[in-house]
Amino acid sequence: MRITSRVLALVAGLLAFGAVQPAKSQTADPARALVERVTEATLDNGLRVLLVEDHSAPVIAFNLMFGVGGLDEPAGLGGIAHMVEHMAFKGTTTIGTDQPLLEQQALAAVEVRALALAHVRDGGSPEEVAAAEEAFAAAQQRAQSLALPSALDSLLSSAGAVGLNASTGYDRTAYVVELPANQLELYARVYADVLRDTVFRYFYAERDVVRQERRQRSEDDPQGFLFEAFQDAAYVRHPYGRSLIGDAETIESYRATEAKAFFEAFYHPGQAVLVLVGDVQPETDLPLLERYFGTIPAGTPPRVRLPSEPPQKEERRVTVDYDAQPQIVIGWHKPTYPEREAFVLDLISALLSDGRTSRLYRRMVVEDGLALNVTTSSAFPGVREPNLFIFYGQPRSPNGPAQLEAALYEELERLRSEPVGDEELDKVKNRVVASTVRALSSNSGLAAALAFNELFAGGWERLMLDLEIYQSVTAEEIRTVARKVFRPENRTVGVLLPSPGQAAEVRR
Amino acid sequence: MRATEVSVPGTKRSRYEAIRRRRLGRPSLLLLALLLVAGQALAQPAPDEWPHPLELQPPPIDYEPPEARQERLSNGITVFLLEDRTLPLVQGVAYVEAPALYDPEGKVGLAALTAAMLREGGAGELSPAELDIRLEQLAASVEASADTYLASVGFDTLSSTLDEVMPLWRDVLVQPRFDPDRLEVRRQRQLEAIRRVVDDPVQLALREFFYRVAEGHPTGAYPTLESINAITREDIVEFHRSYYGPANTAIAVAGDFDSDEMLARLEQLLGDWRVEVNPPPPIPPLDEEPDGTVYLAPKQMSQSVVVIGHPAVLAYSPAYNDLDVANHILGGGGFTSRLFEEIRTRRGLAYATASVVTQGFEYPGTFVAYSISPAQATHQVISLILEEIERLQSQPVDPAELSLAQETILNQSLFRYDSAAAIAQRSARVSLLGLEPDYYERYLDNLQQITAEEIQRVAREELHPQEAVIMVVGDPELFGGSLEDFGEVVTIDLE
Repeated sequence: MRITSRVLALVAGLLAFGAVQPAKSQTADPARALVERVTEATLDNGLRVLLVEDHSAPVIAFNLMFGVGGLDEPAGLGGIAHMVEHMAFKGTTTIGTDQPLLEQQALAAVEVRALALAHVRDGGSPEEVAAAEEAFAAAQQRAQSLALPSALDSLLSSAGAVGLNASTGYDRTAYVVELPANQLELYARVYADVLRDTVFRYFYAERDVVRQERRQRSEDDPQGFLFEAFQDAAYVRHPYGRSLIGDAETIESYRATEAKAFFEAFYHPGQAVLVLVGDVQPETDLPLLERYFGTIPAGTPPRVRLPSEPPQKEERRVTVDYDAQPQIVIGWHKPTYPEREAFVLDLISALLSDGRTSRLYRRMVVEDGLALNVTTSSAFPGVREPNLFIFYGQPRSPNGPAQLEAALYEELERLRSEPVGDEELDKVKNRVVASTVRALSSNSGLAAALAFNELFAGGWERLMLDLEIYQSVTAEEIRTVARKVFRPENRTVGVLLPSPGQAAEVRR
Repeated sequence: MRATEVSVPGTKRSRYEAIRRRRLGRPSLLLLALLLVAGQALAQPAPDEWPHPLELQPPPIDYEPPEARQERLSNGITVFLLEDRTLPLVQGVAYVEAPALYDPEGKVGLAALTAAMLREGGAGELSPAELDIRLEQLAASVEASADTYLASVGFDTLSSTLDEVMPLWRDVLVQPRFDPDRLEVRRQRQLEAIRRVVDDPVQLALREFFYRVAEGHPTGAYPTLESINAITREDIVEFHRSYYGPANTAIAVAGDFDSDEMLARLEQLLGDWRVEVNPPPPIPPLDEEPDGTVYLAPKQMSQSVVVIGHPAVLAYSPAYNDLDVANHILGGGGFTSRLFEEIRTRRGLAYATASVVTQGFEYPGTFVAYSISPAQATHQVISLILEEIERLQSQPVDPAELSLAQETILNQSLFRYDSAAAIAQRSARVSLLGLEPDYYERYLDNLQQITAEEIQRVAREELHPQEAVIMVVGDPELFGGSLEDFGEVVTIDLE
């Protein structure tokens, strides 16, 4: 294990860049316990560990983040990263059953029956299908009878866990929880076990859960429905255009063996960062973490070659009919971090839609009354790869998407032709810095930001460097980048229009 | 809950690039079974020298949670202050008894609109646009809102700009301008938001459910196009004059400040606020007798939203404490609760299912169980929820299940004290809502004493599955059974 420890005025450093009126002797005031102590270690198997001390309450926020997500999925297995994320809560050999050998056999039988069912569905008679379904259900029931449902959840919950959760993005998968500080060993025992030995029990019931999740997010939700069509149109080759949760047919055909193979191939300690923020004691906690996480074998994930997206040559438009009020989303291809343009576009996004004095809010929501809400995002749907700048708006009746679109293009033209004034630029920089600081003010927010920067920005210290970059952006740069990105031929427009009575047909 | 990261995950449709479905291979089933067993053997069960998780003995935590300092301004406002010097930030909020509960008939939405306009309509010397600019220059925020029981007007700022931000916050609370043009902007946006409620099946189901559970009572009322259009600027001015005053207000401030200085600052800003407030408007009692009616809002969807419940108990009553533990076991305890385990984990019939007992002050809170499930399983899921409620009534809970609930609630209580702002704000709300200051401590004491018999008793006395209101949003052609099985069905016209 390699350990480096350093004292650094992390948050104080951030604040020094910010604020219109610089704080009076902020760093000098000894009452301000701003100096955070970050201890960094790398275990022999490649797992990076960051500990941040904050002893104000006896609690710790944990974030175990893998640089693995939807981008790494093989063709035909869309959404499997998210499915695997769900399975990480199903326990291990020692957590989740009293009879591991019997259960292992029962789970193998489930897998055999699942495969047999898939075979007969592919051309078998109705009687054969019914028989195979029955056998599959019986095998599942047998396996469930040997399992202790929610064993892992119960262990952590009864220890006082809050916010026990996980999320999958295109770029990464994160497992998060907050626990009382005296439960650090329990955390290590449970999560190291999960990484070594996840048992894929309840797989087929969980597959149905994911199918329900997809319905809830992407089928019965108009915004989710529109965004599917939009991303699909915005990308022709790159996986940012495909479904993160997976399409319905793919989800319905997942098998436990495939999911487990994906898990074993990708989720190695060298792909992960473990961040603890809170009442930690590095001298005693690091050896404890190493005792458990250090036993996970190192591994090399397969190389994933992502297709590059060809430059967009003409505007694309997609219209979906859905029984709901209209919405519009527009996206432009752009570079990602660490390209300087990506930072410039972060500021442009804040300039356009962050706060009541932002240009689009003021114009579309307040002055012209065109919209209920407008938002922009400068990094959609991920950051590992070149991504999109997007605008999303909900028109206010009697206006429709066309009015929003026209007003937006006028505002973008203004960005391209007039330099932003000093006062407005300063305001935007201050807002970006202030919102960064606020995001770091909770243990869990700080843990997530450090993990993300460590994985994708070239080191957690980038948190501070990035703020320096924002401070250095000029009005001329904003104009140059706006000219380069906001070209008509570089955009994709997605519109959702109400179509009462026809919705069901269109939606199937 | 175990969410995908983006809020709007897209799906690759076959328009540009069909994802080829995998053709099934033809391996020998026997061979595959052997491979699987062998594969399992390759996994690495926990080493023998690792303790079983249940054998771990965590060291005790010795922690005295901080308490907010309680003071009184000369005009009677109760103030709760809690210093936290971790970051140079300060958060403050004034809670005011000017809630949605006070909305007059025909003008539902007045309290919320008044709160929104405090901030959006300009204040003191500043026009709406000037106030927006000033706060954004300061990288600070002032925001206001109102819910059923309280309105709140809060600020969030760097401590270095406290002296600039707090007077703005004071003006928003005390001297709002209610600019007429901004009122129209807010009104038109709210009308648009109301038009869009039916697009969100969960929001729609909850709105209709709470309306039916408390039919005719302001706790279940919701704003409509008509009620929002009926509200005038004079109504807003009058509502503010009637219910915003020192006698109705408690303040919480937490963060990077010196408490003595903060107290002096508050006295200087608000000590001369001396307006008299009106007594609360007359509010009818809440009819507590649901009759088991099933309400159906037809909507073409692949899932149904099912909401089942009824009025429960007052937050002050001893039964609330027992009912909260019973509900934790039934559906409030997340992944380990019965509804979650039965409907989601074992059967895969929902991504989201749970139950809640809301806290009711003056009027009883509500017991609510819900599930978002495949349309074809609507009938089945309603039955499952009702059966789980009835099981809690007919059988005592298992001792292991009870202690899991007790340990979970007790150990999680530590997180009630991990944010200074949360501690101070809770104290301020408790003081206004008339709860005893040691309300929560008594709740934890009760939790540790509670028996399986008491859980069963409270479930029998306070849960009423037969009489519960059942609200369903979904496509009735797909329900997999008749809703008539559960009671008289009333169809709600969404147009």
